[in-house]
Amino acid sequence: MRAQHLSRAAVGTVLALALAACGGGGGFSGKSSSDGGDKGTVRMLVNITPNLTQSYWEGLVKPFEQANPGVDVKIEAPTGKTVADTLPQQLAAGNAPDVVETLMADRTLAPQMLDLTDQSWTKGTPLVQEAALGGRIYTVGVGEQAQSLIFYNKTAFTKAGIAQPPTTLDELTQDMGKLKSAGYLPLQTAGDFVTGLQMLQLADPSLAQSHPQWYQDIRAKRLKVGDSMLPYLKLYKSWLDKGYLDKNAMGLKYPDSQTRFFSGKSAMYVMGSWFTASEATAKKDFEVGVFPAPVQAGQKSPGPQGATMAAPYMVLKSTKHRALALKLVQWLVTDKAAVTSQLQQDGNFRKGYDRKFTPLEQQVQQILDAAPSGVPQGEGYGDYTLPSGFNDAWNTQVQGLYVGRSPEKVASAVDEWVSAHS
Amino acid sequence: MNFVKRTKRAGDGAATLLMVVPATVVFVVMLVVPVGLAFYLSLTDWDGYSAQPKIIGGSNYTHLFSDPVMRHAAFVTLLVAVAGTAGMNLLGLGFALLVNGTSRINRFLRVVLFYPHVLSALVVGFLWSAILGTTGAVNSLLTAHGGSVLPFLSDPTWALITMIAVLVWAGFGVNVVLYLAGLQAVPRSLVEAARIDGATRWQVFRHVTLPALGPVVTVNIVLSLVTLLKTYDLVVSLTAGGPAGQTQTVAYLILWNSFHDNRLGFGSAQSVVLMIVTGILALVVTRMRRRGEMAVYS
Amino acid sequence: MSELTVTESRAEEGTAVSEAAAPERRSVRRRSGLPRAVFLGLVAIFMLTPLYVLVVNAFKPQEEILANPFGLPVGALTTRYLSHALHNPQFNIVRGYAVTILFVVAVNVLSVALAGPVAYVIARSSRRRYRLLLLTFLAGTFIPGQVLVIPVVYVLKTLGLMGTIRGFVLFETALTLPFSVFLYAGYIGTIPPTLDQAAAVDGAGRLRTFWKIIFPLMRPVVATMVILNTFSVWNDFVNPQIILGPGSGLYTVTTGVYAAVSQYSTDYSVVFPTLLLAIAPLLVFFVVMQRHIISGLTAGATKG
Repeated sequence: MRAQHLSRAAVGTVLALALAACGGGGGFSGKSSSDGGDKGTVRMLVNITPNLTQSYWEGLVKPFEQANPGVDVKIEAPTGKTVADTLPQQLAAGNAPDVVETLMADRTLAPQMLDLTDQSWTKGTPLVQEAALGGRIYTVGVGEQAQSLIFYNKTAFTKAGIAQPPTTLDELTQDMGKLKSAGYLPLQTAGDFVTGLQMLQLADPSLAQSHPQWYQDIRAKRLKVGDSMLPYLKLYKSWLDKGYLDKNAMGLKYPDSQTRFFSGKSAMYVMGSWFTASEATAKKDFEVGVFPAPVQAGQKSPGPQGATMAAPYMVLKSTKHRALALKLVQWLVTDKAAVTSQLQQDGNFRKGYDRKFTPLEQQVQQILDAAPSGVPQGEGYGDYTLPSGFNDAWNTQVQGLYVGRSPEKVASAVDEWVSAHS
Repeated sequence: MNFVKRTKRAGDGAATLLMVVPATVVFVVMLVVPVGLAFYLSLTDWDGYSAQPKIIGGSNYTHLFSDPVMRHAAFVTLLVAVAGTAGMNLLGLGFALLVNGTSRINRFLRVVLFYPHVLSALVVGFLWSAILGTTGAVNSLLTAHGGSVLPFLSDPTWALITMIAVLVWAGFGVNVVLYLAGLQAVPRSLVEAARIDGATRWQVFRHVTLPALGPVVTVNIVLSLVTLLKTYDLVVSLTAGGPAGQTQTVAYLILWNSFHDNRLGFGSAQSVVLMIVTGILALVVTRMRRRGEMAVYS
Repeated sequence: MSELTVTESRAEEGTAVSEAAAPERRSVRRRSGLPRAVFLGLVAIFMLTPLYVLVVNAFKPQEEILANPFGLPVGALTTRYLSHALHNPQFNIVRGYAVTILFVVAVNVLSVALAGPVAYVIARSSRRRYRLLLLTFLAGTFIPGQVLVIPVVYVLKTLGLMGTIRGFVLFETALTLPFSVFLYAGYIGTIPPTLDQAAAVDGAGRLRTFWKIIFPLMRPVVATMVILNTFSVWNDFVNPQIILGPGSGLYTVTTGVYAAVSQYSTDYSVVFPTLLLAIAPLLVFFVVMQRHIISGLTAGATKG
């Protein structure tokens, strides 16, 4: 009897479905957004990291919710590997969030995003003009991240007899030799996304000097990514061959590499300024110092610093709560408490927003102040972009050095990827 | 309409229609149409959200066959499928013979061999990566006793072998169960007759048991093959495709290209090829096995 | 697959025979006893070691796990990390279980409701069009569901079912249909048609005949399919990940584990407890029901 009922219900469902299918509707052009007033739920897709946990995000937006009764900010963690592959899934599914954090507008994403050029509050937010696309603003951020930093174990440097941090890549190589003799793993790396990121961070200051128009040249096909990166790939490979890097590092995850560095086994760690947030809370029995990534002999030191937008936000065009989403993003990037909290949580910087600095953060601030300019990195942002997905493809190829591929082969594989995707 | 009339005339009535149509509609809408769509999308540059996918002809396919990343993934997938199928079936049949019978111990062993199948491949991958990873249980034990780290997941060759081994570990219990069912069908009288004739255990197995198992072997091989060709979850959780992308399978790349690089058209082309290859392999195996069985019987 | 001809009853006979174990067989077992026992013992240890590692480390802090991953420090065990995992803001494991069970039940019910009747019509008809329908369903068994997700997204979106429970259940059900129809049709073929005719004489319609007379006889084969479908829905990762997405707020056990573990895959005091919570209920259920599950897996599948 029950089975019969069930079957009837099932048949009903299916028929209704079939009718719905025939009745058309749907299509792919999302209904243009309407304003849902200033009450309701705003969905925000965010990046989740060891620094930025789900509960951090929920706590962050709580004051906003309290100040705006009837508003619920729903924090959504990526269901994919990262925000970068979750957002396309959601866009394809037609249920994109209202706000997305972590991604920046490029040519593929910009048409899906709300144009913020007319929003006056975007003026003066960090790197906002640099991130603009054809003069239009889609992405606003909370602060700046310094990318090309090398953190080091001061005890290790002392033991290895290194008085001054290196300023050129040759000095860096020599110091690595000393550190190895002193019993340290000179440079800590990891698998995950770390390998490729560190290479880019290391190369930024010197690459920006040898190829000041790198992005334009690549775009105009005057220059190839692989060719311009080949010297760095060769250098890296020589470090690997000399045992300055751990041959088994590909088995380590991002958090592992930090743990190893803090355990005092390795002497240096290339990472962006957000590493200071981990340093502030880590247990360790040595002092951590920091210096900007060295440059090639004969270049100006320090070189331009790799600089990226911290916590970039975009509002999706398809949002049904345009006013509310805009209000939220404005609050996130301009409210003193919200900005400071985010800067603090992920170790980022912004002029005019003073917060309590750890000694290490003060040094990073000095490096930022001393850098002649900031340059984009890797995939880049604004008008200077490589095809989306470049950073991951680059990372995979750089890891090839660990599995026996030659720098030349890595370089040509990178070029192949770029040409196939542009 | 025609269909309806004819059915009525046959006297089956509306009831028959009601019995056939719902399942067929769901099947067609959710599986047949998507297969057709995959073909169509594979000829476009669809990025997942643009209003109208643009038709670009066969360039996804030409790109696919010239892409070194794709070719490596195809190699990995075939290797995983073939080596994994061999491993699962050799172990499956072997252990089926060993734990045949219903003693307590046999029943316990069947549970022990089968239980990984209850866990999702995702959990299995996370579990083994916690055991075999560079900081995992085994390597912690090794380094604690002065040994050096074994690159189970950090060396491409090791990682491939590890992946296949884990797939076999997690999956061969199903083969054991299927072979056990098959063994029940082997006529006991035949086995006993052969034993009385003085045949050794191996001879009995080779000339009586194995031929009688013929169809079961085919089912097992096809099942393992079809399952392994779409290996995805385990790649995600065990190696994440690494190191250096060396353990990416085709299914992994399909989803990566589609949803990370916004190239759903290209991903669809890969899906189409994978479906065709799966179909062909399944057919070939079935055919080959059938011929083999005939040869044994004749 | 249709060549498989072991019937359930025969499988049971088989076990009955070996239960009674002919004296000759016993002596054989005794002869090869020791090496076989040692070998199987080692295999059992190998199979169970990961489970052991999972269980003991779920109760240990990170330093202890790294220092002594196989150890069982009875005094130092704690349920702190398990309770952390249970209250993970990113993944409510209890809710994950509820959602997954809902999916499993819905898919199983819908699958039987759809596949049963059509299989009955196919099995009872020699018409060409039904042969053809069966072949079409059969071809469907070779469609790798996981790589079909891209066009399925397209279809579900057109139907307005993307990111909904209905859409997900419908697609998962569709994935179960080919094999179900195939198995059911084969099984119904072994049920004598005289039964239907008797029902027809009593004035029962076709639908009624199927549900009242035939369906109750299909218990073994339905059990087999339910077991297979339960495993496949429970363990599916790609389809819930993409079809449900983060927008729906719905996590199954698998997608939830991914959300909870993937970012913290080196914090073993998160990994082990979460994995343990994710598998323990299912594993307990399996161990309790193992006889029925393992024999049920093959009972229906080997007939027809």
